[in-house]
Amino acid sequence: MKISEKILRHTRKADTTLVALVVLLMIAGLVLLYSTSAYNGRVKFNDPAYYFKKQLFAGILGFVGMYLISSMDYHRLLKYAPWLYLLSLGLSTAVLFVGSSINGSRRWLTIGPLSFQPSEFAKVAVILFLTWMVEKTKQKLSGWKFMVMVFVGVLPIVALVGSNNLSTAVIILGIAVILIFVTNPRYLPFVGVAGAGTVLVAVFLSLESYRLERLAIWRNPEAYEKGFQTIQGLYAIGSGGVFGKGIGSSLQKLGFVPEAQNDMIFSIICEETGLVGACLVILAFGLLIWRLMVTAVHAPDLAGTLIASGIMGHIAIQVILNIAVVTNTIPNTGITLPFISYGGTSVAFLLAEMGLALSVTRMRR
Amino acid sequence: MGYSMRKNKTYNKKKIVIVFFLCVLMLLGLMGRLVYLMVFRSDYYSEKADELHERERDIKAARGKILDANGTVLAANRTVCTISVIHSQIEEPEVVISMLAKELEMDEETVRERVEKRSSIERIRTNVDKETGDRIRSYGYAGVKVDEDFKRYYPYDELASKVLGFTGSDNQGIIGLEVKYEEVLKGIDGKILTTTDARGIELDGIGESRVEPVPGYDLKISLDANIQEYCQQAAEKAMEEKQADGVSILLMNPQNGEIYACVNVPEFDLNDPFTLNDGTDTSVLSEEELQDKRNQMWRNACINDTYEPGSTFKIITMSAGLEAGVVTPEDTFSCPGYKIVEDRRIHCHKRTGHGAETFVQGAQNSCNPVFIEVGLRLGVEAFCDYFRQFGLMDKTGIDLPGEASTIMHKEENIGQVELATMSFGQSFQITPIQLATTVSSLVNGGTRVTPHFGVEVLDEDGNVVEKLQYESREGVVSQETSQTVREILESVVSEGSGKNAYIEGYEIGGKTATSQTLPRSANRYISSFLGFAPAGDPVVLGICIINNPQGVYYGGTICAPVMRDIFSNVLPYLGIEKQEMPEEDA
Repeated sequence: MKISEKILRHTRKADTTLVALVVLLMIAGLVLLYSTSAYNGRVKFNDPAYYFKKQLFAGILGFVGMYLISSMDYHRLLKYAPWLYLLSLGLSTAVLFVGSSINGSRRWLTIGPLSFQPSEFAKVAVILFLTWMVEKTKQKLSGWKFMVMVFVGVLPIVALVGSNNLSTAVIILGIAVILIFVTNPRYLPFVGVAGAGTVLVAVFLSLESYRLERLAIWRNPEAYEKGFQTIQGLYAIGSGGVFGKGIGSSLQKLGFVPEAQNDMIFSIICEETGLVGACLVILAFGLLIWRLMVTAVHAPDLAGTLIASGIMGHIAIQVILNIAVVTNTIPNTGITLPFISYGGTSVAFLLAEMGLALSVTRMRR
Repeated sequence: MGYSMRKNKTYNKKKIVIVFFLCVLMLLGLMGRLVYLMVFRSDYYSEKADELHERERDIKAARGKILDANGTVLAANRTVCTISVIHSQIEEPEVVISMLAKELEMDEETVRERVEKRSSIERIRTNVDKETGDRIRSYGYAGVKVDEDFKRYYPYDELASKVLGFTGSDNQGIIGLEVKYEEVLKGIDGKILTTTDARGIELDGIGESRVEPVPGYDLKISLDANIQEYCQQAAEKAMEEKQADGVSILLMNPQNGEIYACVNVPEFDLNDPFTLNDGTDTSVLSEEELQDKRNQMWRNACINDTYEPGSTFKIITMSAGLEAGVVTPEDTFSCPGYKIVEDRRIHCHKRTGHGAETFVQGAQNSCNPVFIEVGLRLGVEAFCDYFRQFGLMDKTGIDLPGEASTIMHKEENIGQVELATMSFGQSFQITPIQLATTVSSLVNGGTRVTPHFGVEVLDEDGNVVEKLQYESREGVVSQETSQTVREILESVVSEGSGKNAYIEGYEIGGKTATSQTLPRSANRYISSFLGFAPAGDPVVLGICIINNPQGVYYGGTICAPVMRDIFSNVLPYLGIEKQEMPEEDA
């Protein structure tokens, strides 16, 4: 099949709605983060703005990165995808040996005053790498062979990341599944994949007794000591009511919800801003996902569609899993809320990803 | 610039839309979950969260005062302060340290250590008097907290220590009236509900709810501090003179049971009740021994301990005999110095015998054979019936804790010998308060009263909340018997063994006693005198007991003068004037 060559140019303006949503989420996120983390910052570092300042710094860095990447041609970036993927493999390997631990998990590489979480970089690298594979493969995209190839391709990073950060490995795997789903014209195999996935998860859970315990905690968190975080989150959510206690008025953030500024931040948002605020946050994420969907649909080529889809999948998976965990809809696992949870690397790379998506919006055939 | 790129096809777009809608569906599902948690489960989780955040702090209620018969305060509260610092709120540590060191007269190093300690709240000193607390507060330094608290305070230190009792660290009564009237005195503690963070630190700016404390009621008692003080001095004097183990003096109104004084020396300091009052080196005592000694020190001998009353009990034998009609004042007896009962020869205290004497003279002489005879005439059954009728088998019901019961033979075990010894007050034990109460009923016309201290319960402004009522039982003995007993006992003081209690111008009735404690071989004695005045219509009845006096140990010799001294002061104090002596016939 002859592929017609057409000229692609940065002719459109970046999607202002997308930019506006990102800016809105970042600003709202910083406000909520400051409110949530002020107590912990004061107690641990004698500085209520400790977490806020670090997040703000990462955010500024991220916005600069977002702007630079949005003005680049994503095809150019795509050329480096295999190298970026190899780099992420290297960094993920390095963290296993020379990483520093925070809260008992060895996930950070520290260089001077900066610390960096390779698993956050791996997510972007995987999106680009899979897009690159789709672009370069000689295989039929609808074939089983390609599907297997893709899985073999992402397996090393999933294994590396999964060895100490299972949640992120699941996210990476999820992104891969979404990308293959979008690439592949068929539907039926994915029903099979979903079924196989369910069986796999069930087997995986039952292999280790501590995972079964996690399930028991999920069903009745109040009966277990390890359900503490979950139940504190539920107290926070429940005491928010419809309109919340008001920004800054959460009591559960005062050491009751452990490390409230991390994975559990949504519970504090619920407590302070109520059902209304929580739904507005979900709505903002919904709109963001919608804009990314629109970006994917209107992308000039398959590469653009896949990049936008990957980013959309990434954000959707994290938002859904995070809120599901915080509301105890699914068993507890550590997943952060994009743009809002404390985490410099995460925020910086999320903004970089947004830059990538903006770059797609600017291309016109 | 050109690229060779794969085109995106319709199915790619369709699929991304499917993914999007799946995501939207899941987000909607989560919103539904939030509605469930935040609307329907909100009350449940809010309540649980509130329980977690709220700390209840008690505000101590002021304990009611104890007032004597004249309204003199015997037990009150002193406001004391607890000084603490909140590390995170201190702005000028150096200034705070030097101020606290100066005001609290503590050395600067100790203060510095506590001020600089990184803790949520650090106590610098407790029991600081209110003046100092107010001064520290007036500096207004950030991070310095002055909390007020109440501490029980007894203005007279030792006065009536074993009656009033004291309170523990939580302001709860431990012994004495403080225990008995706990419910009246204690009041209702208030509450402050505060919100705290996970470390338990109170949060500022969040409204705290307060329930104000209700102060306890005041208790007005019949005890008169002036009389008590006088009796205590008399007791201390007697104890020193006789090098006795202890002296108890009880003064009560035989008509209504009100107790004017209850002294048990050595007393102890109510403001320092855990320090032994005999200067024992506590460092050599085990904790248990120390506590034993404290319990011993706190005992109220008039109420908590029993003794063999000895001859003062002859008043009871006399009353029973007269009431039963087995003896009249004019009956004549003969005392050879002993009386043989069954195979025993029971001696009179006067070995040479009193010879021929009337019953009244037998009482004046405190003659054992006379009273043995009366007892034997009554017989075991009647004697025991009177014993019960006079209330000797029941507790008096005095409003102090730990009243001891009478220790008595079982009726079926009483033979003639036991009956004989009981007739003059030996071989059984009663408390001093039991003796005083029983004699009160025999001399007041036959009404058994309940001895008591508590008179009225007053509120803060002195209004009477409750007048305390006590049981009384009439007809213990007939009026006639009671009058005869009064007359005989008056003659004991005016002409007999109690003459050392005689005061010119007053009619005083009384009876002396000297009893040997068990084991008899130890040669330890308890001497006592029971007296009442005016003998015709007694308003005060007193008992003085000297435990283990050295040297002369006869009750008539050592106890009667003590009571005379007390009566000669207390009777005028109570408004009972001396009677004009009848003109001597020319």
